[in-house]
Amino acid sequence: MTLEIHPAVNDLKSDYEKGKMSRREFIRFATLLGLSATAAGQMAGLAFPVSASAGTVKRGGKIRIAAPVHKVTHPAQFSWIAPTNQLRQVAEYMSYTDENNITHPYLLESWEPSADLKTWTLNVRKGIKFNNGDEFNADDVIFTFNQWLDKNVGSSMLGMLEGYLDTTGIEKVSDNKVVLHLKTAEIGVPEHLFHYPAMVLNHRTFEGDFIKAPHGTGPYILKEFVEGERCVLTRRNDYWKKGADGQLLPYLDTIEFVDMGTEMAPMIAAMQSGEIDMIDLGDQSGPEVYQALKDNPKVNVYPVPTNQTRVLRMRVDMKPWSDNKVRQALKLCQNREKILALAYFGQGMIGQDVHVSPKHPEYCPIETPKYDPETAKKLLAEAGYPNGLDVNLAVGSGWKEIVRYAEILKEDALPAGFRINIQTMPNSQYWEKWTEVDLGITTWAHRPLGTMVLNLGYVADEKGAPAPWNESRWVDKEFSELLTKANGTLDVEARRKIFCQLEKIQQERGSAAIAFWINVWTIASKRVQGVISHPSLYLKLDEFWVDA
Amino acid sequence: MEKTQNRSEDKIKSQSDINGINQKASTSKTENSKKSRFRDTLAVLFSSKAATTGLILVMFWVFVALLAPYITSYSPTEQDWKAPNQGPSLSHPLGTDELGRDLWSRLAYGARIVLIIMPVNEKLWIPGGTAIWGVLAALFFGASLGLVSGYKGGWPDEIIMRLLDAMMSIPVILLYLIIVAALGASAVNVVIAIAIVGTPGVARLVRSLTLDIRTRDYVRAAETRGETLLYILFMEILPNAKGPIIIDAMLRVGYAIFAMGTLGFLGLGMPPPSPDWGSMVAKGREFILMGNPWASLWPSLAIASLVVGLNLLADGLREESMRYQ
Amino acid sequence: MAKFIIRRFFLLVLTMFLVSIAVFMIVESSPGNVAKNVLGAFITPEQEASFLAQQGLDKPLLQRYWFWLMGSDRTAARKSGLELELIETEAGFQEWWAKGKDNTLMRWDIEGDDLTVYVKDSDGKITSRKDNQRWSDAKDGSQIFWGIDRSNHAVLWVKGSANEVWTFVVGTGWIKSTGGPQSYIPLKKGFLRGDFGVSLRTGRPVGKSLFIRLRNSVVLAGIAFVVVMPLALMLGMVAGINEGSFKDRFLSISGMIFSVIPEFATGIFLILIMSHWLELVPGASVFGEKAPWQRPDMLILPVLTLTLIELGYVLRITRASMAEVMRSAYIRTAFLKGLPFWQVVLRHAAKNALIAPITVIMLHVNWLMGGIVIVEVVFGYPGLGQYLLDSALYKDVNAIEAGTMIMVLLAVGTQLFADILYTFLNPRIRYS
Repeated sequence: MTLEIHPAVNDLKSDYEKGKMSRREFIRFATLLGLSATAAGQMAGLAFPVSASAGTVKRGGKIRIAAPVHKVTHPAQFSWIAPTNQLRQVAEYMSYTDENNITHPYLLESWEPSADLKTWTLNVRKGIKFNNGDEFNADDVIFTFNQWLDKNVGSSMLGMLEGYLDTTGIEKVSDNKVVLHLKTAEIGVPEHLFHYPAMVLNHRTFEGDFIKAPHGTGPYILKEFVEGERCVLTRRNDYWKKGADGQLLPYLDTIEFVDMGTEMAPMIAAMQSGEIDMIDLGDQSGPEVYQALKDNPKVNVYPVPTNQTRVLRMRVDMKPWSDNKVRQALKLCQNREKILALAYFGQGMIGQDVHVSPKHPEYCPIETPKYDPETAKKLLAEAGYPNGLDVNLAVGSGWKEIVRYAEILKEDALPAGFRINIQTMPNSQYWEKWTEVDLGITTWAHRPLGTMVLNLGYVADEKGAPAPWNESRWVDKEFSELLTKANGTLDVEARRKIFCQLEKIQQERGSAAIAFWINVWTIASKRVQGVISHPSLYLKLDEFWVDA
Repeated sequence: MEKTQNRSEDKIKSQSDINGINQKASTSKTENSKKSRFRDTLAVLFSSKAATTGLILVMFWVFVALLAPYITSYSPTEQDWKAPNQGPSLSHPLGTDELGRDLWSRLAYGARIVLIIMPVNEKLWIPGGTAIWGVLAALFFGASLGLVSGYKGGWPDEIIMRLLDAMMSIPVILLYLIIVAALGASAVNVVIAIAIVGTPGVARLVRSLTLDIRTRDYVRAAETRGETLLYILFMEILPNAKGPIIIDAMLRVGYAIFAMGTLGFLGLGMPPPSPDWGSMVAKGREFILMGNPWASLWPSLAIASLVVGLNLLADGLREESMRYQ
Repeated sequence: MAKFIIRRFFLLVLTMFLVSIAVFMIVESSPGNVAKNVLGAFITPEQEASFLAQQGLDKPLLQRYWFWLMGSDRTAARKSGLELELIETEAGFQEWWAKGKDNTLMRWDIEGDDLTVYVKDSDGKITSRKDNQRWSDAKDGSQIFWGIDRSNHAVLWVKGSANEVWTFVVGTGWIKSTGGPQSYIPLKKGFLRGDFGVSLRTGRPVGKSLFIRLRNSVVLAGIAFVVVMPLALMLGMVAGINEGSFKDRFLSISGMIFSVIPEFATGIFLILIMSHWLELVPGASVFGEKAPWQRPDMLILPVLTLTLIELGYVLRITRASMAEVMRSAYIRTAFLKGLPFWQVVLRHAAKNALIAPITVIMLHVNWLMGGIVIVEVVFGYPGLGQYLLDSALYKDVNAIEAGTMIMVLLAVGTQLFADILYTFLNPRIRYS
């Protein structure tokens, strides 16, 4: 394969050499621009370690994973992580963003963006077969793209793609080449191809329900799928990837996902007795499981810091939160260290009321506000509440760390004059009104880029109304302009400069209080080897194997 | 779950069969002054060892509830963030919970919420514990329906009983979920949930008592005097059925606390940081496997001791009143 | 007697009818958004409307109740003029088809303005072809067709209706289609004809999921019942004979203590002690493909929890009944006659003392079924209780109805059984 190196790679390289950019960021961006991870690593003077040596791997065996087994119909409609972790062993993605935030080609052999980032050539990998024997080719790629862009399907991919891609922009050049003609420049295309609903579907057999025709290119075959009970996968013998021992992957013969409900206690107990080998926390954070199992000699607990957080958000179109002084006052009532220590057992990073995590590539270091109820009281008095005020705080009781966060806030905000009335409800009810409540704590998932989050949650749509996920309705002209500028800025250092301003604005007049970023854990018994802990808790089991 | 209603109801049914009628007879016979009746009751209480023990247990919690601010050294919401999930120690006699709050303080203030006061919202607190109000509400609606049903008979009886039967057949957990999910989690809604679930049981009990009492002479006499329906129901029949009803109510208080815990477990209980015992058990259970069983153990024992106290008291009263005859 | 049983049976049916209406109304009036629960919190209003329409939730309450009770296939057959049939595929999926000629089955799909018919012949082979002669003229001049789609709905397709959709067809390019589904009737046979409908949450027939879970719950409840009852009756009698003694106090108080500690706490304490510290038994129920009786070790803790919770209640009932009998004149007479103590107790007292507890125990089956919900959740036990709880949180009306109906049937059925048993045990009772 001959590949032209994208001109921007050279800029990136000079940034990296001048020390403006970390090695990891350089590799991340270089790979996005079509360079293979190995080549980028070589450029950055880094040798990639080979994942496992040939002698150690053992084949065969079965693992059992505790995970919710949800209803699944159309993979593009996924809204939870857990079902994707079952089906991603059966169907696969065009790209793969690894645990270090580096995106590799996967079902695509490579991609080549044009200099202006508006034309992307996708080279489809040859010689891959679906598990029903069909050949994988460009038609499947185009079919899958069209499913995402079809309004009737209602995929969350649509929101991500419609800004830059129409179905008219997809051109089939040959059976192995697809060209995307974008409406606007976009650097995140390869990363979007690994968004969890982006599984590649078989255009010959897919009719809207994956379970009825479970034909993917992945290493396992769907043997049994019973919602709310279990999902059983068995090995297929003609998978396209080879393992460390030179033979075809995967290593394991059988994988069984068992639905054990939402209570943590039975999962902990089952891990201890060896009845299950892994817990897929997927959509739950599970610090309780971590606490209970971290010292267990039979269990490995792999922590990963993430850009996931719990956002205390205030609706700026509703009183009293329309007044920035009140918002700032509440933010000052967060004793962040205490919140992290008690609500999440200290397992995470402190937040600074900006929705950009220290793990985001464009993060600009910013001061952490101190717990200061006196200043908060003064601010409240200035805002016209010298005697304090009563507020309702909506929380989903299934998120234990959120309930604890709320209880701590209630206690610590009292001296400032906030009398917080905590309203608990089942999580499903919270999701019904997460954008409606005036004060609430919402969970926000891991996203690799700072711009991705800010574009979702803190901007207006084309008509000027707050975007659908802008739960606090906070739209700031200066902020939006800066963010648009950041979106079009490829150079990370330049982007970080813009982010310094963005973060300052959000901290000073934003609508979100962010006290902490959480860690997540992949929990596996010691016999499971080759475990990779992904910050989104994605499970990719083709290279897992069991010892004895 | 369903035991909340069936249990106490059936227990009472058998109790009323055993002695309820006799008791009614005795109370209707006594036309003494209130004072001497009170003295009789006390005598009954203290002559039974069981009743005395029960009384002591119940009074212990009542006093703890009343004196909570004076016998605790922390407020129930005060958080010591350096010392969460601790076992018993000198500074915290029962240990601390997951936010470093003193468990003894929470237990003592929890007794208040259960027995003495009810937090309607952040500002308004009314006398009478949450569990007590739940039981009172169940008594009120159950007794009204039971009285009408038992006294009137015929089609009102048929309709009321069929509807209550249907209500009893719906799994209680489903009722809880639907009621509180529809209304939201708050003390008032917890009371409503306890009341709705308890009403059919009380109604059945009161109906069976009314069926018996309505044939008595004094009811006949009131009818011939031309008293109103309300007077006959609430002034003639109800006072003569009060013995078994009071015993039933005592048992129900225990199960009301239990229900508060179950609601908390479902995420629908009293809003945090309420220290009511049920919620404490429900929250503490998450930390049992993490090495802090105390946060769940103490409130469990508190519930158990209070319910045992109430039961002993009820048993003792019944046994002694029987011996008096 | 026969009259009494018939009357009670009629009441059972009436109760179930009332409860089914009540559950429908309660679920209806409780807040919550099924579409958001099922599809996630981030769906658009259009997706929500489309979901509700496809599930038939946009129909009036009365019609939905009727469909739930009696089924919708007849209504659909009348509207479409087709004969409908429900088949089960080899993979175990239920599919509705319209009957065609020569034992063939038909379903339709729309692509642009073209109707495509999928014909399944008697060998199970499926062929498709254009089928535009099906269009018929409606009153307002548009072309319509009531047919069966490929996801078990009767669908009203309208040609050239307002909702224009652009679709991209691989190899052909852009196509503007104007037809579209205007109305859906989800096909089902109805509760009275043995079809519980499709769960909104899992998208699969409720009956299938329910059966396994009901079986699991019955196993758990059954074992608990077999353990608790003899134990409770025995201990209750021991306590009742010695009423007021230390033995009595000890038994009834310790029974009571365990019965009022919430089972979600008792269960976890048991996991802590038996599984975590002593490592005697597994602390969770992970059955996978196995049935509960193939892993009896996993049943120990759930059964123990239920036993602790239940023991106190039956014990106390038995105790009260026994104590009453022991005080009665004929027992005193028997003692005065000089009969041996145990002979009096076993032959004379026990027989009469057990009448009340046995009927109470029958009532107990009711809550034993309903009451294991929490125990199931605590141990991750795949039973009916957990299913019902999830369904209630998701407002999954078909699943709630099915679960409730089963519980009501069990509750009222065992009550009926208890009453009949009572008349045999206690011939003094006469029913009018």
